[in-house]
Amino acid sequence: MGTLHLRTENITKDYPGTRALDKVNITFESGKVNALVGKNGSGKSTLVKILAGAVIPTSGDFYLDDEKLHFSSTSDAYSKGIVTVYQEMSLIPGLSVAENIFLGRLPKKNMQIDWQKTYCMAEKLLQQMQVKIDPHTLVSRLSMWQMQVVEITKALSFKPKMIMLDEPTSALAQNEVQNLFTAIRALRDQGVIIVYVTHKLQELPQIADTVSVLRDGKLVDSVDMKDVSHKQIIHMMFGEVKIPTRPTNIKIGNDPVMQVKGFTSANWFKDVNFVLHRGEVLGIAGMLGSGRTELLRSLFGADPVDKGELIIEGKSYNKLNPIKMVKAGVGLTPEDRKTQGLILIHSIRDNLCYASMNLTADHWVENKARRNQFAERQVKELEIKTSNIDNLCNTLSGGNQQKVVVGNWLNTSPKIMLYDEPSRGIDVGAKQQIFEVIWEQARKGISTVFVSSELEELLEVCHRILIMRHGRIVDEVNPDNVKVNELYELCMRGD
Amino acid sequence: METAAIGVTPVIRKKLLIFLLDHIIELCLLVLIVALTIGADGFMTWANWMNILRANSLKGVIAIGMTMVMVAHLIDLSIGSVVGLSGVIVALACRDLPAQGISLNLATVIGMLICLVFAGGVGWMHGIFEHKFRLPSFIVTIATLNLLLGLAGRLSGGFPISNQFPEWYNMLGGGRIGGQNGIPIPVIALLVAFGIAWFVMGKTTTGRAMYAVGGNPESARLSGINVNKTKTIAFIIVQVLAVISGFMTSGQVMSGTFSFGKGWEMDVIAATVVGGTSFDGGVGTIWGTLVGVIFMGVIGNGMTLLNIDVHTQYIVKAVIMFLAVLLTSYRTRIKA
Repeated sequence: MGTLHLRTENITKDYPGTRALDKVNITFESGKVNALVGKNGSGKSTLVKILAGAVIPTSGDFYLDDEKLHFSSTSDAYSKGIVTVYQEMSLIPGLSVAENIFLGRLPKKNMQIDWQKTYCMAEKLLQQMQVKIDPHTLVSRLSMWQMQVVEITKALSFKPKMIMLDEPTSALAQNEVQNLFTAIRALRDQGVIIVYVTHKLQELPQIADTVSVLRDGKLVDSVDMKDVSHKQIIHMMFGEVKIPTRPTNIKIGNDPVMQVKGFTSANWFKDVNFVLHRGEVLGIAGMLGSGRTELLRSLFGADPVDKGELIIEGKSYNKLNPIKMVKAGVGLTPEDRKTQGLILIHSIRDNLCYASMNLTADHWVENKARRNQFAERQVKELEIKTSNIDNLCNTLSGGNQQKVVVGNWLNTSPKIMLYDEPSRGIDVGAKQQIFEVIWEQARKGISTVFVSSELEELLEVCHRILIMRHGRIVDEVNPDNVKVNELYELCMRGD
Repeated sequence: METAAIGVTPVIRKKLLIFLLDHIIELCLLVLIVALTIGADGFMTWANWMNILRANSLKGVIAIGMTMVMVAHLIDLSIGSVVGLSGVIVALACRDLPAQGISLNLATVIGMLICLVFAGGVGWMHGIFEHKFRLPSFIVTIATLNLLLGLAGRLSGGFPISNQFPEWYNMLGGGRIGGQNGIPIPVIALLVAFGIAWFVMGKTTTGRAMYAVGGNPESARLSGINVNKTKTIAFIIVQVLAVISGFMTSGQVMSGTFSFGKGWEMDVIAATVVGGTSFDGGVGTIWGTLVGVIFMGVIGNGMTLLNIDVHTQYIVKAVIMFLAVLLTSYRTRIKA
């Protein structure tokens, strides 16, 4: 069995306003685990989508063993032997492992499903993966890593030449990762090209044979894993670090506005303590699954905690819920604005006035003039682009929708604002505007907790950054004294 | 066509379309009324109109509450049984309490109070099932529908309890204000319920919360809105309105019969949906429901006047409902 190659030649992908991939030349070889890394927006997912047939490149070609490939759909990629295992699980919990593997193409005999053959074939595949999973088991009974293995086994059943794994460990616990790696190595040794997309750099020495780094749509380098250090990879990912532009004229008070004491939630975070000062913008840096979003939601009372005390301006709160926290002057812009922040089928005016409902009403009766005034104020201050506040929220672009979420809270005149990934999926201009709003509020004495997976943003926006790893606050840094690659390393470090 | 092309921008055209879609039920009702006035003898008379309104206000009162429930993305299918049960409870109070030395009038009032408290309890319990046990109200209220029907049947022994009410009780369902040709009391009740609900849904924070909860419960919760309380209020209101409808129904015929109101839920929901309330929650108006109630009443009355048989009437009503649901979903898509 000779080695297989997948080679790209000057692959370029343009989106309106941005170039996601810029003349990328990359080669993936069989018999190796080829890691593909890069920070958010580096173009790695675009590359995966192009090779999977989900996105058509603007220009450039790619070849599998010198055969030029043209994909116009994902089924084209399948037929050429390129399969992708995405982050989100696609298994059906109520069916058995074997049924899931052969879903839609179960072997038949005399018009009926040949169960014996189904289970036999599944058994064989699972043996190839060197895992002990009974093909009769219901998928709902499996642990997360086993499900991930079944996903990969399903991909293997298509007899692929190349398998792309998109962040396969993102939902796994530490010990489960090792089991998955065993399966991936077994797959590698069968001569399949494996492309392993990840942002967890600590996994690379264990699983990767080569590593390719993308930055701003360009391939920085492709190297053998044994030739590079952790530090060098991080340097390749981030390049020369630009200087943050945070304004210097924001005064932080000495008085603690909010004190978090011993916050614990069994599955997500443990014994979290910190203090937030008046006018301070405090960042929480952590990778996906570090517990940052869950912590923020719990501070707002959106999810229950097992233990912990919250003190706001000297007053102690427990058994938190959103109703209480709004009264205490806390606001949260949730991670997913569409499902948690907005009511898309209602008007912009309504959405700007939900959190401040009691302020815009005289006791029980709404004051129409005041509602209009509140809504118009935010439209003006946040520069929400709309011709009419009566328009429905789902007519707005992502950035303007996010501004509505922020405006909904600013109308409550909050003391503390909690921002969960406020810049996700919005354009650069809107992002910058939201940062300006955060600083403007800080000048007025409002304190902010800011969570983002984009570490550069934290350095740009925050006065102080807490590092969260595996549900604990493990460090605190001053953004003036730390570079983004150092921050990244702090978040990634295994302990 | 030519004039439309000049000076009318797509934006204005879309606004016109939305305006038209928003008021299409009113428009259809108007056309229907004009057509029936011309085509059906005896339609456009005071007596006939009072007849239409009286006959439909018994369900209309409940439709007002159903609108609130459906705006909050809930449903209450048990209301028909509540109508029958409340008549039975008041009738039993009138029959049995005077033997204990309580006057008939007081007994009637006690019976009515029991009904109101009981219905409030049922609505509250629906709220508990919704937020404590996270069961869909569609299923829970089907269970309550059967439970209350069975209860009413057991209490009444399966027979109408007649000739127990005091004479004034008849006024609730059969009385008129302004003499023989005056306005029937149930119509007044419908208008009062409409007025209060219109105010609550359009002008108060409670109404706003119902729209929010129905539109997206998670966003509403994270905006500090009390989702559980809001849903429970909606459940209680529709139950109480069903009880009031039950008083009027039993008063009209002076009998407490357990099967009164059986199957009403479908007519009530039909009128609400025709009025533009969405099954997906967050969308709907009290005004729309009032128009929907009158629309369904007028079309039924018109078909009777035109001697259209009852089976065809069902088919026509079904077609109207299809069209109304299509319109509501089309309207939501156009606005996006």
